[in-house]
Amino acid sequence: MSVQEVTSEPAAKQDPPRIGRFSRHSFRAKFILVVSAAVLFDLMLAGGVAIWNVQRLSKDATEKVGTGLTRATEEYLQTYIDTTALRTDLLLDQVFSEVEALGGSMQTLIDNPETGTEVGLTVENDPKLGDKLVFNPDAGWSQNSPGESVVSVWGYLLDDEGNPTPEVQAQIADSSAFNLIAPGMMKTGAPKLQMYYVGPKDKPIMRTTPYTDQAQTFDKLYPGHNEDNFWDFFFPGVYEGWQAWIADPEARPVPRDIVGTAPYIDAITGAQIVSFFYPLWTADRSDVAGMTAVDITLDQLSSLVENVKIAETGFGFLTSSAGNVLAVSEAGAETLGLVSVGGEGQGVTGFNRFLKQSRFPAVATLELPHNTGTVIDDITLREKEREDGEEYIVVLKELAPINLWDGENIVAENLTLGFMVAKDEIYAPLTAVQQQLSEATQRIVYWQIAALLVSLLIVTVAVYAISGRITNGLSRLAAAARALQNKDYSVRVDIPTRDEVAAVGLAFNRMAEEISYHTENLENLVEERTSKLETANREIVALNNRLKSENLRLGAELDVAKRIQEMVLPRRSELEGIPQIEIAGFMEPADEVGGDYYDVLFDGDHIKVGIGDVTGHGLESGVLMLMVQSVARALQEKGDKDPVAFLDVLNRAVYKNITRTRSDKHLTLAFVDYYDGRVTLSGQHEEVLIIRANGETERIDTMDLGFPVGLEADISAFVATQELDFGPEDILILHTDGITEAENDAGEFFGLDRLSQSAHDNREKSAKAIAEAVINDVKSHIADHKVFDDITLVVLKHR
Amino acid sequence: MEIGTNDYRVWTEGSTIHYEGTMRLSGTDAYAPILEIMNAVLAEKPELITLDLSGLEFLNSSGINLLAKFTIEIRKQPDVGVRVLGSKAIPWQSKSLKNLQRLHPALELTIS
Repeated sequence: MSVQEVTSEPAAKQDPPRIGRFSRHSFRAKFILVVSAAVLFDLMLAGGVAIWNVQRLSKDATEKVGTGLTRATEEYLQTYIDTTALRTDLLLDQVFSEVEALGGSMQTLIDNPETGTEVGLTVENDPKLGDKLVFNPDAGWSQNSPGESVVSVWGYLLDDEGNPTPEVQAQIADSSAFNLIAPGMMKTGAPKLQMYYVGPKDKPIMRTTPYTDQAQTFDKLYPGHNEDNFWDFFFPGVYEGWQAWIADPEARPVPRDIVGTAPYIDAITGAQIVSFFYPLWTADRSDVAGMTAVDITLDQLSSLVENVKIAETGFGFLTSSAGNVLAVSEAGAETLGLVSVGGEGQGVTGFNRFLKQSRFPAVATLELPHNTGTVIDDITLREKEREDGEEYIVVLKELAPINLWDGENIVAENLTLGFMVAKDEIYAPLTAVQQQLSEATQRIVYWQIAALLVSLLIVTVAVYAISGRITNGLSRLAAAARALQNKDYSVRVDIPTRDEVAAVGLAFNRMAEEISYHTENLENLVEERTSKLETANREIVALNNRLKSENLRLGAELDVAKRIQEMVLPRRSELEGIPQIEIAGFMEPADEVGGDYYDVLFDGDHIKVGIGDVTGHGLESGVLMLMVQSVARALQEKGDKDPVAFLDVLNRAVYKNITRTRSDKHLTLAFVDYYDGRVTLSGQHEEVLIIRANGETERIDTMDLGFPVGLEADISAFVATQELDFGPEDILILHTDGITEAENDAGEFFGLDRLSQSAHDNREKSAKAIAEAVINDVKSHIADHKVFDDITLVVLKHR
Repeated sequence: MEIGTNDYRVWTEGSTIHYEGTMRLSGTDAYAPILEIMNAVLAEKPELITLDLSGLEFLNSSGINLLAKFTIEIRKQPDVGVRVLGSKAIPWQSKSLKNLQRLHPALELTIS
């Protein structure tokens, strides 16, 4: 119990804090947050892009409409001013044509004096059309009584009785055709104030239609006119100007004879008028012969200009090149800030309303166009030292030039037609469109934001609703895990969905089951496993021990075998003690001791050299070799000199022992018996090599001299002998297959030929030196290759 | 049946046993599986067992011992003939195979 308490305490400390369903750390809260954030981002992005696009669209549309309307407005103004200018020109042209027509008729009469005089007399004699001059003694001039037209003859043209001088009378008669032509022209055509005729400078009588009391009016308005020459008094410089034209027609400022005046107050009617003069020439064109003229009121011109109506308060105006505004409505004059100044001057009285005297600096500094076509400009009307002002569009167009009498000389004059319109009026539609676009944009943005908010609300509600179902499984899992942590192993979860959470639930249930099972069966399990492990361990230890002993045994066996092999070999001292024959033996066991054998038995007379090879390796081979050696020694000691019997007995002894020991080994074995200069070979083994003192080499096959020992019970039938001379310096070499079958890396055997060659090369040396040389050759042939078998070499050399 | 390593191969075709390569196994125990194959052929008591050694380049003394012992076993069964095929090109064969014939004179030895 105490153990359980100790273990449960730290577990309780590590217990994670309980997470409420709606805590901000809960999975559900995070889920809602993430989904809402994603939706919010999506909506914001989409909404933002939409709003941005709408704004851009609105801006583009506003710009397009603005540009279009501005251009349309400008085109409209341009067309309007062009039309108005054309109409103005036409009006003036019509007036000009009428005065030219009148002048043309008068000129015809002058050019045809006889007919002229006759026409004049005819008219004079006409009771209705003829002039009936009445002298006014008080005023000192003569004037006809009221009729279609009036003719005035100034005092300086009358004689003492008040009658015109004869020249003057002739002039009156010659020009009386005026009475015939002018009234009709006056009544038709363009509206005119009056048409009149003035005679040449020396007879400046004046005819006017319709009839007015013009002399009386002059007297009233222009005292002194009756004494001074008419031309010089009223129009100084005009007459002289025309005279200059005769000499040089190019002197005309404008190639048309008509000359206009600046506006002035008409002396007769008191109206603001403009006069246009048409000069008459003498028949020979040597001098001026007077003029015809027409007066039109400025109102007629003004009505054209004043009828201009643009937007609400837009107006037109006509100005001289000097900036004197000739025609404008009163409201227009007010807008332009014009100040009317009465003009004082000799002759006719002019009037001045100059732009440069305007209250508004923008108007005062307005530059009139000259040879530049129509000018459209923006100006701000603002009084001096004031910040606020109204913006206007001003359109200016120069009219066709005319000749103008400026009071002294005849100069060229270009009238300029101007339009003024307030910007906010002309652009009112544009402003309205822009306003509507802006409102529409605003509306779309509001709706967009509203839709965004509603979407967000719906998504949030939906996510909240769905999140409960999604996270329900997780909540159950968390609760179950907590129960499991509190060691309630019976807990299981039930998740109805078919998703990953359900899969986790299933896995959880299985794990809970396993935990429950393992917890309950842990002790049994541990015991079972421990006992299994112990058994396995015991087996391993036993196996290990066996392996150790086996190794030990094998190692010991090898050691014993090696020892036996070494023990049995003849001692060097033994060999050196043999008188007739020099014998050298060499044996090198392979890693796993083989079964090579050689022995030298010497009993004082006979020398018996044996060589053999036991099959296989190891202790058994060693023991077999020992047996062979012992039997051979015993037979030698017994004095058995017959090699065949010797081998037969040896085989029988060995065969029986092999059978007893149930060994399956046998050996090859051959003997060389030396006695008195002769050797006898017996037994089957490798070939015997003899190198004679003269260098000849003989190879003796021993296959037919015997049979493997230990294989058959009786081998006597197979054993034979071969006798050979063995004289001084003759060499006899015995070997085992370890020499001839020594392999190099290429798998090539050392072979009998190499052995023979090696021995032959060294035949002059001692037996020991020959053996060493041959072994050296064998070893250099093997080099680093594996040595498979024992290597044994015995060299006999006759002393 | 077939046994072999990189160095040698021994296999049977009916009652013919083929040997090929270089056999340098280290003793009687190592040759036991090969002897098993040979005994299996002998157990069938065929009329003629052929030992084809013409492809066997080298055989160590333990191997020769194996052939000798097998020959002695065949000798015990007069009904079973035996034929040994060798090659003159392989030195150890002309030398050692003669002994088999000496062990069992009925053995037919062909060294070609």
